Amino acid sequence: MGDNKQFKRALISAACAMAFTAAGSAQAANWLMLQGTEDPASASRAEVWGFIQGKYEKDFSDANATGGYVPPKLLGPDLDGQDGFNINRARIGVRGTGFPIDSKINYFALLEMGNNGITSSNGAFAKLTDASITLNHIPGARIRAGLFKTPGSEEALQAIHVFDYINFTEGANILLNERQPNKSYTPCPVASPTTPVCNAASGNVGPYTEAQLQAGAKFDSQPSPVGAFRDVGVQVFDAFDVGNDWEVSYAAMIGNGNGIEFSNSDGEYDKYLYFSAEKGLDGGRGGRAHGLKFFGWGQWGTRLLDITNDSVSNLKSYDRNRAGLGVKYLKKPFRVTAEYVKADGMIFEGPDKTNWYFTGPANGNGSDAKAYSWYVEGGWYIPKTKWELDARFDTLTRNDGRNDQHRFDKWTLGAQYHFNPKTRVTVNYEIRDFECNSGAAVCNNVNANLKGVDNRVGVQLTAIF
Amino acid sequence: MLTHFRSFFLAISSLLLLSVATPAVSAESTFAENKYVLQLSDMDPSKQELILNNASNLLAAYPPGQVEVEIVAYGPGLRLLFADNVHNKRIDSLAQSGVKFAACGNTLKGMTKMLGEEPKINPAAKMVPAGIVRIGELSKQGYVYIKP
Repeated sequence: MGDNKQFKRALISAACAMAFTAAGSAQAANWLMLQGTEDPASASRAEVWGFIQGKYEKDFSDANATGGYVPPKLLGPDLDGQDGFNINRARIGVRGTGFPIDSKINYFALLEMGNNGITSSNGAFAKLTDASITLNHIPGARIRAGLFKTPGSEEALQAIHVFDYINFTEGANILLNERQPNKSYTPCPVASPTTPVCNAASGNVGPYTEAQLQAGAKFDSQPSPVGAFRDVGVQVFDAFDVGNDWEVSYAAMIGNGNGIEFSNSDGEYDKYLYFSAEKGLDGGRGGRAHGLKFFGWGQWGTRLLDITNDSVSNLKSYDRNRAGLGVKYLKKPFRVTAEYVKADGMIFEGPDKTNWYFTGPANGNGSDAKAYSWYVEGGWYIPKTKWELDARFDTLTRNDGRNDQHRFDKWTLGAQYHFNPKTRVTVNYEIRDFECNSGAAVCNNVNANLKGVDNRVGVQLTAIF
Repeated sequence: MLTHFRSFFLAISSLLLLSVATPAVSAESTFAENKYVLQLSDMDPSKQELILNNASNLLAAYPPGQVEVEIVAYGPGLRLLFADNVHNKRIDSLAQSGVKFAACGNTLKGMTKMLGEEPKINPAAKMVPAGIVRIGELSKQGYVYIKP
């Protein structure tokens, strides 16, 4: 609870600092407005749009000494192989102003049909990721209701089809792209031919050998789709031109806290706050509008866990708090982004048996652990060519201060070729260094499994329509 | 004396009438040799930008004062001239450069009926009873008709 207050104080301080910055002079890629509103008197009744992303990835990681693999060495969302093709995103949506002479009301809907954490976990062919209506009647307080991206981290909030890398930072993947626990305890299963070392003594699921994976052993048996940085709720937001090309924005939201699932099983609501100040710079459009943006955000919620492996529902509520600060600069030919994220509670520890991972004392007890992450990335749009070079360093410290504290460092080197503004190919090479770094004995087994984590290469083709 | 006063009064009145009447006449007449009327009646938002680009390009293609451009918006195209239209700054800029904008009164009445309130129209636009009639009048005056 004390940490909760610290989060809020840090956010308020950051917001005040930005407010002063904006007051002196306050505009660029404003995701709140780009995703939540339409151009007044100039929107379609129903604009059909979408994008397709297909990719090939190869992971060069080695098995552990006994031939077993852990999830970081396998490709998601299925986590059963080290190389292959995937249609990781295939989305189609419609947005606009249903009654075109009334600019005060607009809507946004998007359907996901690719193979990723949104669709794979529950075998869904398609899953609704966005369905919202915005009421623009009150000056300074637009109201957006429904399912949509929550105000937060730039990496999470930005439109994914303009994201400059194939994979998220480890921080965004582990701390922000939420994996929901089961409604009832999901135990570490009894050892079997496909789960040979899952027991209380080893405190682990897997590693699985290649033969076991091919025989049907699964790491990824998430009961729910990933949160996809979204929630179902109501958001009040707006952006204000404060002169000298500066724009300040805010958003306050409450939501179920259950990702893209339509329920509020714990009866509590997540709260979200977001502030940004942007200096608009000449050039660019839409999601690639040029500008310098400072932003800060916080998210506060609780999650209910069944913490015992029995037929009795022993529910316990845990806080799930996230906060962050960041800056983004884009004016071609250069782009620089930096973000810091702090997390308290409900730290994702593994892809399988989520309740067990969140509560199992032998393996992280992520329900009340802390973590932080940050990244710096930059891009260079090579003048007079269609090429873009990208580089990113990201680091995540998970279970901060505990015996099973992990540190995940990753360099991502990339190149993109833009066939046209709507179609591009992205090549990424990831250099990864993952370890349990507390020095405690518990790290020995973990590091034996993480030792072989090696680099990963990917090629992704994106077509927007 | 009374006769002189009447003559003076008539002369002044005539001058006043002429001075009031003159702008109305000049608003319809032009010395420009090149005259274009652009029609916008589409719902498609991209047409809004296109027609403004057309107007800009026409202004740029001729020496100052040698081209008259009027955009007539009616039907779904009237949205271009709504007071909150996203292209307002550009419309204002074009208006200051001499481009005229005509908003259809019939369309406005219809939209008012559907919306329950009258949409606010950009002050840079001049209301005309009927957009289609306005295009007809301008065509008779020698304007080249273009529908992008």
